Amino acid sequence: MFDSVEKVQQSLADQDFICDKKIATVVFLAAKLEKPVLVEGPAGVGKTELAKTVAAATGRNLIRLQCYEGLDEAKALYEWEYSKQLLYTQILKEKFTGLMDGASTIREAARRIGEEDSVFFSDNFIVARPLLQAITADEPTLLLVDEVDKSDPEFEAFLLEVLSDFQVTVPEIGTIVAKSRPLVFLTSNNAREMSDALKRRCLHLYIDYPTEELEVRILETKVPEAAKQLIEDLVGMMHRLRQLDLKKAPSISETLDWARALLALNASELNEDVVNQTFSVILKYEGDVRKAESELSKLLQKKQGEAAAQAATPSQTPSATAVKKGALH
Amino acid sequence: MQKKILEFTNILRKSGIRVSTAESIDAFKALEVLSFDDREVFKDALRTTMVKRGEEVETYDQLFDLFWSGFYDNLRESFGEAANGLPPGMDLERLLQQITEALKNLKGDFGDLSELARALLTADLSMIEQLIRAAAEQAGTGRIENFLQVGFFSRRTLDQMDLDGAGGELRDLASRLEEAGLSAEEIQALRKLIEGLMEAARKSVRAYTERELQKQNHDYMEKFRRETLLEKSFYHLTEEEIRKMREVVERLAQKIKNIMSIRRRRLRKGKLDLRQTLRRNMPHGGVPFDLIFKHRKKDRPKLVILCDVSSSVANVSRFMLQFVYSLQEAFTKIRAFVFVAELGEVTRIFQEKDINEAIEEALEGGDVINVYTRSNFGYAFHYFWQNYLSAIDKRTTVLILGDARNNYNDPRAWCLRDIHNKAKNVVWLNPESPSAWGFGDSVMNKYVPYTDVADECRNLRQLTAVIDRLLL
Ligand SMILES: Nc1ncnc2c1ncn2[C@@H]1O[C@H](COP(=O)(O)OP(=O)(O)O)[C@@H](O)[C@H]1O
Ligand SMILES: [Mg+2]
Repeated sequence: MFDSVEKVQQSLADQDFICDKKIATVVFLAAKLEKPVLVEGPAGVGKTELAKTVAAATGRNLIRLQCYEGLDEAKALYEWEYSKQLLYTQILKEKFTGLMDGASTIREAARRIGEEDSVFFSDNFIVARPLLQAITADEPTLLLVDEVDKSDPEFEAFLLEVLSDFQVTVPEIGTIVAKSRPLVFLTSNNAREMSDALKRRCLHLYIDYPTEELEVRILETKVPEAAKQLIEDLVGMMHRLRQLDLKKAPSISETLDWARALLALNASELNEDVVNQTFSVILKYEGDVRKAESELSKLLQKKQGEAAAQAATPSQTPSATAVKKGALH
Repeated sequence: MQKKILEFTNILRKSGIRVSTAESIDAFKALEVLSFDDREVFKDALRTTMVKRGEEVETYDQLFDLFWSGFYDNLRESFGEAANGLPPGMDLERLLQQITEALKNLKGDFGDLSELARALLTADLSMIEQLIRAAAEQAGTGRIENFLQVGFFSRRTLDQMDLDGAGGELRDLASRLEEAGLSAEEIQALRKLIEGLMEAARKSVRAYTERELQKQNHDYMEKFRRETLLEKSFYHLTEEEIRKMREVVERLAQKIKNIMSIRRRRLRKGKLDLRQTLRRNMPHGGVPFDLIFKHRKKDRPKLVILCDVSSSVANVSRFMLQFVYSLQEAFTKIRAFVFVAELGEVTRIFQEKDINEAIEEALEGGDVINVYTRSNFGYAFHYFWQNYLSAIDKRTTVLILGDARNNYNDPRAWCLRDIHNKAKNVVWLNPESPSAWGFGDSVMNKYVPYTDVADECRNLRQLTAVIDRLLL
């Protein structure tokens, strides 16, 4: 699938996903060793996106199981389709009557119906949920178990059984074994710690907030229309915000949203006005906004100081002209 | 290489990183499909297969650097110096070439030399590394304990690898080459190189020994930190220690939860529940499409917890409350009371607030009692007996945390007797050791007859054991 770690990095980049070697190494090993990956990290750093991108890069079908509290086997694996079964029962009523002919006791009748059980509990009446879909798929697939930390510990234990041998037993049908082993990505925002047993089964990847350099490259890829200066300012600001003790630190998704919002406002650089208009895009809590405001004005003052120093020199620097142009809009 | 990885795995384990056999096999497999050239990739590969907890990453990074990258770099540096000592216009490769030629004339080759002598002369660093490692192992360097032993173990390692022997061989070789007609200049350079290599080897062995010492210290300190936190007495904790212990309790609680849920899963598939099945299948005209099984469940206890929050016991209460409320789902119902002399219920606080906030508030008396009084267990139990005895039934476990230091008041043990008669269990945890019970103003001996379990609970290890017994 991939020949080397570098190839992984390259083919993910071809799908607009920019990552460091650490991520690429884990993806490479997951593909080679056919092991599930548990991806942990704060919200919005690209855990889900990574899985989707790997699916696209390997040409695998993406099957997604979104976890939530109360998710159970029926919703994750399969369910019987009662209404359809009932409908068939109605339609086949006459056949049943035929079947019953000559049955002298209820016990005998029940036995005869029992013999036909298999008709009702067959693939015709089963609704395959994501896990079963991944196991029965003809094409190679990528199974994304998203936000597994939201599921209950009981579900985690069940998941572990499925992941250990990629086969499930449906009592009425028998054991179904996966035709080809799906690649599996589990993501977690660390709402709770996953069990040791699950961790042992998986390769582990922790994705943290990106370095400035990486985040700049992500922005250049995803929001190519944005000016270089704006991107650098944005990323610099984000990294400062992440240092603050915020209730919800802004993530890559917020950086992207912010860049797009600023573009929509035709802003070519960060200044107090635009920032105040768009703060709600990156910070969701009142308290966080207050904490961030003072940090922001410090940053802007520093920038103004630099700009003033540059303007004082005779030859106008490109960034100074950019400021002027921006002001004309 | 395999051996080295196993060794590294053991060092991880010793430092408290739990690596299972399956995981170390994964690491081997990972290295089969990767090239070792890129150190970062190598490091990530070992980490992703063996280290799965965020808090372990820092330890892993330190150990990795200690174990893998550093020594090789060290070797490169020392041996680089030796090769740089050659006179200008002469490089190692050319010199080796000439030696090979000359050896041919002598009808010999490098193969006549011992492994070490050959590795030194050709500056084969990974071979040198292997030989040093093997010799150090033979010399027992892994048992080094303090700095004063560095010289001793270095010497033993050098003897083990017979560096002096190799030096003799090389000097001997130089003389033979001189006879074979190598120029005086070349011979001089060669002699100088040989001494440089010997020096480099000695330095490297010493560096290796020092690293072993560091490694041992690292293990020791890590273990010490963990052990002491578990064993540390609850009296006199600093803010920082309380914070750290809170994290430990959080992890322990999570672990217990996981164990419970796996166990529950195993127990789950029980017998067919006929009544439920019929009821559920009414819509299908009573045709049993959907089978319901009886869940065999373990009786979840009802818990009434009485916490002494006077300063001598506050920390036991603190961590017990944290445990109990982190494991809420393990109980049918929890009611929490705090007391010093007055007693009051704080269950509400825990329903309304974040757990840590709730605990701090409860320890302050939670607006229901005055905590700035002298302990009076008799008074507190009597108050409970008057107002809350109905809270206790046959399924209730009563958990009492306190030192039973009653300031010479009346113990009113009969209140506890009545509680005991109504309850399923009475468990008493006392931060003092049993040898102190009943002495001075301790009335623990008066209460013990009305408990099912009375234990010392002075640190996290003991506390965890109690929780285990309560639930599993
Ligand atoms: N390395 C990356 N390269 C490109 N886009 C990224 C990267 N990381 C995150 N993103 C973008 O950030 C957003 C949030 O990512 P997402 O996968 O939803 O985060 P998570 O699942 O970790 O909460 C997505 O729109 C994604 O496109
Ligand atoms: Mg996501």
